[in-house]
Amino acid sequence: MEPELAIALPAVGAVLTAILHPRPRAALLAGALLGAGGIAAVLLAAPGLASDLLGVSLSVSAMSRTLLLAAAASLALIVAFPPPRADRAMLLAWGLAGIAGMAAIAAAPSLDLVILLTLVIALLHAALGGQRPLAARLRAPALAVALLGAGLVFARFDGSTILARFAAIGLVAGLAAALGTLPYIHEFDPDELTATSPIAWIAFLGPILALAVITRARELIPAAGAIFAAMLIGLGLLNVLWGGLASWLTDKGMSAWHYSFMADWGLVLCAFGILVADGQAAAVLLLFGIVLSRLPLYLWSRQSLRERIQTDRPVNLLAAAMLAGAAPFAGFAARLFLLRGATQLYWPLALVIGVGLLLWLPPSLRLGRSLGTPRGRLALGVAIALSLSVAVGLYPQPLLSLAGL
Amino acid sequence: MTAVAAFAAWLGAAIIVLADGRRGLAAGIGLIAVGFTAIAWSDGVWVGGACLLVGGVVAVIALLRTGPQDWGLMPAGSTPRLILAVAGGILSLWVAASVTTGPGASLRFACLAVLGLMAGRLLQSKAAVPALAGAAGLAIALAGASELGPNDPGFAPYLIAALITAGALLLPAARSHGA
Amino acid sequence: MPAIAIIAPVAIPLATAGSVAICGVAGWKIDRIVLAVGTWLAIVALIALWAPVRSTQDLGLGQLGFGTPSELRLDAVGFTFGLLVLVPAAILLTLQPRPWQEGTVAALGVAAAVLAVESGGVILTAVAGGAAATLAIVQLDVEDPRASRPPWGVLLAAWLALSWVGAILQVRSGTAGYSAVPVSALTVPVFALLAATALIASGLYPWRGWPSQLWGRPALRSAGMAVATLYPLGFYLLVRAYEIGDGRYPQFWLQVVLAGIGVLVAFGAAARAQGASTRRAYLGEVIPGLGGFALIGISVGTPLGLVAGIATLAVAATLAACLPLLPDRGGPTSLVVIAAAAGLPPGLAFGVRVLGLEATFEAGTPMGLIGIAAAATWILSIIAAARAAGLPAGRGHPASETEPRVSMGLALAIVVAGPALGLVLAVLATPAQALVMPSPAGVNLGGLTAVATVSTVLPAVALFTPVLLLAVLAYYYAGPMTVRAQDRAAFVVLPGTDRFARLREALRSATVPAQYRSLVDLRALEAAATGGGPLLWLAALVALAFAVTR
Repeated sequence: MEPELAIALPAVGAVLTAILHPRPRAALLAGALLGAGGIAAVLLAAPGLASDLLGVSLSVSAMSRTLLLAAAASLALIVAFPPPRADRAMLLAWGLAGIAGMAAIAAAPSLDLVILLTLVIALLHAALGGQRPLAARLRAPALAVALLGAGLVFARFDGSTILARFAAIGLVAGLAAALGTLPYIHEFDPDELTATSPIAWIAFLGPILALAVITRARELIPAAGAIFAAMLIGLGLLNVLWGGLASWLTDKGMSAWHYSFMADWGLVLCAFGILVADGQAAAVLLLFGIVLSRLPLYLWSRQSLRERIQTDRPVNLLAAAMLAGAAPFAGFAARLFLLRGATQLYWPLALVIGVGLLLWLPPSLRLGRSLGTPRGRLALGVAIALSLSVAVGLYPQPLLSLAGL
Repeated sequence: MTAVAAFAAWLGAAIIVLADGRRGLAAGIGLIAVGFTAIAWSDGVWVGGACLLVGGVVAVIALLRTGPQDWGLMPAGSTPRLILAVAGGILSLWVAASVTTGPGASLRFACLAVLGLMAGRLLQSKAAVPALAGAAGLAIALAGASELGPNDPGFAPYLIAALITAGALLLPAARSHGA
Repeated sequence: MPAIAIIAPVAIPLATAGSVAICGVAGWKIDRIVLAVGTWLAIVALIALWAPVRSTQDLGLGQLGFGTPSELRLDAVGFTFGLLVLVPAAILLTLQPRPWQEGTVAALGVAAAVLAVESGGVILTAVAGGAAATLAIVQLDVEDPRASRPPWGVLLAAWLALSWVGAILQVRSGTAGYSAVPVSALTVPVFALLAATALIASGLYPWRGWPSQLWGRPALRSAGMAVATLYPLGFYLLVRAYEIGDGRYPQFWLQVVLAGIGVLVAFGAAARAQGASTRRAYLGEVIPGLGGFALIGISVGTPLGLVAGIATLAVAATLAACLPLLPDRGGPTSLVVIAAAAGLPPGLAFGVRVLGLEATFEAGTPMGLIGIAAAATWILSIIAAARAAGLPAGRGHPASETEPRVSMGLALAIVVAGPALGLVLAVLATPAQALVMPSPAGVNLGGLTAVATVSTVLPAVALFTPVLLLAVLAYYYAGPMTVRAQDRAAFVVLPGTDRFARLREALRSATVPAQYRSLVDLRALEAAATGGGPLLWLAALVALAFAVTR
């Protein structure tokens, strides 16, 4: 019953929070309680154990559970220490809706349901509104669904071995389109609210979706497993290069953050493509970093970005260090795992990845400075994000154990 | 029978690609839903087929009840769309009948054709309603594709697809004045 | 003592950092006292842990998650390098007032550096060393964001490279522990990567690197701490490499190359020193010069060379504490500091250089040639020191940061410690050497009063003590020294240096020619990639299909 509750409670919480929006305290309380209930259900759900309450076999894997918890922690951090002038109740509502969607994707028993649920989320996300027209907001996620669906269909065809390769193409391209990484970059309006922008896909929904697609794809197309992994690595390296350079050289501050997410995803895709345990461990740590470090910092920076404030205080440098994956933050541990996994697979790949990692620093300095000078509660939020990253960076074992690695 | 249903699905997808008006889009969605419903029923998936049909009907009604009622079929400059519809159909037929093997060629054709054409529609659409109709067509095709797998998918894909089909065209954005 | 106590030299600075932060936030003006107590307590703990036992002690940290169990290890190398980090750090943190934020970061940096040298394996060293580098950069930027600092990207790359070394060792041999890695795992490429890390981590370049540039900052609080915590770490890696390689590097030519780089580093520092326009600029080249000699000694590959190298680092560590406390003005203090740094007899700097050169000659050709070059470099550095005595002081850093008496005392300690060379080696260098490079049977490096080499014995006490007494008498009877500071021309202008500088400037200011700029229009590229264009997406799909179906 836990998977069902993991989906239902946050969903109800989202709806209730939205309804109670005119009464912010009640909305926050209702949302917090129901969200906490949902997360408790996630925690209690035994990894891999199926629940058949609704006639559909739902189960949450260990890695999915870890990412759900990370997403929940990120939401809690953002709502507890909101960006200036942010509507906390709406943040919580959107966040809970996202978590409900993620829990549904994580618990879905087949890739068909994952893809359909992605389409549901895409439609609801597009319907939230924003400055971009609905067709533009829907375009990339719906294309992702179509590509994933095509990949799934090709995987089920009998016939030539080339069909498995087409399946791999569809799944990889569909995943890239869903996330919004190169070459399927979503249209990005810097003034758009984060919840309705592509950042929601790349930083919040993306991790669970990627995990669901990749783990199921490996079972679906074992004959094309090597091709699938190679494509992930190829796209990953492309995004590392593009994300690093674009984040550094672009004129627009918000876009720099957008590209930095892509760079991180480049590493994640490489990690998933490295089919050894270290690769998976690197992926978990990198996704943790995206959800619990980069996303909150991005939200907290938006006000300073609008006001074009750049500061050089210790907190900015520490944030830059965290974003750059410097020791002792979680990103360094992730890079260590990535290099080790790549070395096991093919050592020149480790060299290429290592060179790519050097691109992280200049944009990270820029992004760290764009955080401005957090004060009061915001400073505490930044301190918590930094501390969590240090804790995981120095002692990643608990997180990895939770993820079943 | 299934061949006719698959052809109907392709035709519906082609109409969605070629139509900008609500009536055209409604006809397209209706044909897709009917086509996949027939295929599902021919495979004994009664509940699933019924779900798709209900979803399709709701979508058609939603399109016909609000907004300007025009067909908008093949507006000016729609030659590329026509080529897409025809070429997509031919390519899907070739893959389903020749490249792939085994029974169920009709379902394979229908899935490939609708997925491909709806993806094309979504890429080139600038208005909300055609994009939503494309999404609805995607959902129906995905539900049909679940039958291609080795295991019984149950009713869940059909139910979700029906909800998407109906819900997409009931969204506030679908009630815009333009198509 | 229980094994958990090994963590004390790391835990105490960490706790100090936390306490300083609490004091700072609460508004209690006792953070400097807390810093002083904390860092000196860490030194006491280190000595208390090591002295009674004087053998390797391990503390298993279990599975931290880095693949193999991590451990802390206090052995002779860890003890020596721990002191090299802690002692100058303690002196600076005690005597220099700084804001509590800087103090917190400084204490954290000290903890990270000590953790790096107390780690039992490459991975933990990489994590801790990287953290120390990050914290040093933060500290420097907190003090003055506009002043020069080490290139962060380069340091980050170095420690990332070390983590890759650890990963390679784990993949090849299942472990990255210093004492557990099989010799065969340290291949030439792996060692080359480790050596490159070491050189970059300590800024050991023939050109002007960060250990020189930092001394040009307006304030020297963070500069001193950065040098104290980061500079020894690269050398630490090279010493540990001997342990991994069972007393040697994978190939002899690697030692020659490293020693050659050492000469170039020392020569570069000496060349810049003899052309310095201020005394501050000269003093900025002292530690890199000593680092070059330390690198030579460590790279020679003999026990004598190794102890000479480690002892040279001890001198460098003392000067790392001395130089930031030295005021930028003339007087006997700066003269004594210059004399101590230049390696005039009977100072410790003189003794360790003699041993280092002796080691190169005993190692034979081509090390002997390197020794000759090192000797010439030493002569140049002495000329530079003599010239520096008459230079203008320099811009001057805040007087509140300086302690001329302590600075003089530290310099005098270097001079007076010359006769105690044997004792210094016995306490600091020889145990570390014995751990990583066991001496051949029958070879003994001497005792407390003399140092035995292959070909001779250097009776440090007997030889240096009379020289020291003479020096004291000469100083006493010479009376007050007045040196008129004035601009002086460089002793020698090296050919080609201006060409090199012009080349660097040309590279730095290079731009794409105007007629080709439209080809690399980044804005257009960005707009094309992010426009959500269906054609681009379809093209990408086709490209993927083409690539995969080949």
